[in-house]
Order: sequence, then C-alpha cells, then structure tokens
Amino acid sequence: MKLSDAGQARVRGYLFILHRSLASFMPGEMARESLREVESHILERVARVEDGADEKRALEQILEQLGPPLKVAQAWAAEITFDEAVATGRISPILRALGYAAMSVQGFFASLALFVGYVAGFSFVAMALLKPIFPNNVGVHLRDGIPVAFGAIFPVPPGTEVIGGYVLIPIFLFVGALVLAGTHLAARKFVAWWRGRLRGPVPE
Amino acid sequence: MSFENWQEQLRRGGLEFAVLLTLSGSSRYGLDIIRHLEESTDLVVNEGTVYPLLARLAQQGILDTEWVSDEGPHPRKYYRLTKPGRARLDAMKQHWDSFSRKLDTLARQSERNS
Repeated sequence: MKLSDAGQARVRGYLFILHRSLASFMPGEMARESLREVESHILERVARVEDGADEKRALEQILEQLGPPLKVAQAWAAEITFDEAVATGRISPILRALGYAAMSVQGFFASLALFVGYVAGFSFVAMALLKPIFPNNVGVHLRDGIPVAFGAIFPVPPGTEVIGGYVLIPIFLFVGALVLAGTHLAARKFVAWWRGRLRGPVPE
Repeated sequence: MSFENWQEQLRRGGLEFAVLLTLSGSSRYGLDIIRHLEESTDLVVNEGTVYPLLARLAQQGILDTEWVSDEGPHPRKYYRLTKPGRARLDAMKQHWDSFSRKLDTLARQSERNS
C-alpha cells in the first residue's frame, strides 16, 4: 500500500513525538538511529498492506501494534539509558537517567534531592581547593563570636571574622568525598529501582 | 505478586533468549525478528519494545548491526550474533535446559501427588 498525504502526516506525527521523547534522554546520534529503525519498521509494515485496504484503519493498527510513542520511548529508556547507568555506574548515564526520571512528579523530587547531594559534595571539594588560594574568605564566618555562615564568601562582610585554618582542607575533602560517594550510591540505587519500574509490568 | 505480574516477568525474561535463538541461524532485520517471534511464541506484546532490546544487545556487543538499503523497499537494519553473543546463547541454552527440566520434574511430581 502506498500512503496518502494524510497517512504520511500521521506517520510523521508519530515519529515526531517519539523523536522528542528519545532526544530527551539519549545522545542525538542514537536517537536518530533509533528513529530511523522505527520508521523503517512502519514503512515496511505499510508496504505489506494490500492495495485498496482502508489506509486509516491499517495505519492505526500498525501504530497500535508498535505501541504509543511515549511507551516505546520508555522501553528505550529502560533498556539503554537506565541499563547503561546501572551497569556502568558512570556519572553521565546516571545524570541522563535522572533527567528522564525527573519528567514525572515522583522522579522530579528524587532527582532534585540527588542533584542537591551532588552539588553539596562538589561544594565541599571546591572549598578545599579554594582555601589555599583565598585563606581569609573560606572557613567558618563569625559575627560577634556567633557562627553566621560556613564556606566561601566574597568579599567577607565588615564585622565578620573567618576562623579555621588549613586544617579545614582535609576535612572539606573528606566530607565532600563522603557526600559525593553517598549521593552517587543513592543515585545508582534509585536508577536501578526506576529501571525496574519502567520494565515492571502491571502495578499491583 | 499477581499472576499477571508473574506472567509478564516470565515473558520479559524469555524475550531476550528468544531473540538470540531467532538470530542463531542467520542475520535478520527487526520486523523479520518480530514476525518470527510472533509466529512461534506469544512473547511480543508491543512490537516497539523489541527494538530497544535489540539496541541494548548491540550496545553490549552481543549483536552486530548493519544497514542494508538495496534489498527491500526501505533500508533495513540487520542483526547478527557476534562471537560473545553466540557464547552467551550457548550458556543460556544450557541454563534453560537444566532449569526447565527441574521445573518439569517438579510439575510431574505435583501431578502425581494430586
């Protein structure tokens, strides 16, 4: 069967939604390759439909067998992005997986908490690196003997005293590494659980 | 776990094995794999879930891929087992033989006892 303009528009619409979904969590080249394969599948199926058949009905049946584009994208996320994140534990696929999970409400809050964890860990490491360069700006900030802030402040407000010498560097490094390791472990566990959810079938 | 969940997990677990078995003879393109699975099993519920599985297997080096454009009306992406893929399939077959034999024995014992 040869597709009419309306049929082609229906296929383009399906592929457009699928591409948008895939591109949100996949590297561009992989998203294009995946899309090309799905397009080839649809066109192949269409070519097998006898001439004179009801185009709209045949096309809807083909797309229904393939599954809704968001569901297909979800299957890709579970198999590729989440699988890579779980298997390798590398930061880049984990962040891509978290970005995908963040598109739902529950995933958004979990991803936000993990993002805050990563930022906090990196902040401690950054403070350790900044301490030798700006010794008078990094430390515990006191006003009238009461701690009011902790970290690096530029410039130090008048009337504020900064305490804590170079001994803070190993402490910052230790805490930073601890926070990063803890956050990363939690992110891996979350991504593994989310992958199970994506692959998991019928909610109980 | 409900019966539907158990059934679905069984189906998903079997799909990867079935895909590798389908490719054990010769290379095939996506729709060809799906049609073969549909003819001989009921493992394919949504056709769109087979492609991500194929992509993962290719990413893991279990399958090799090649686009062929001069064969059908549209370019087709062919999949074939790699050497590690064949080794994995052999290991899966062995495991499956032992697994299914034990379950069969249990099922027969249960039938005799009931």
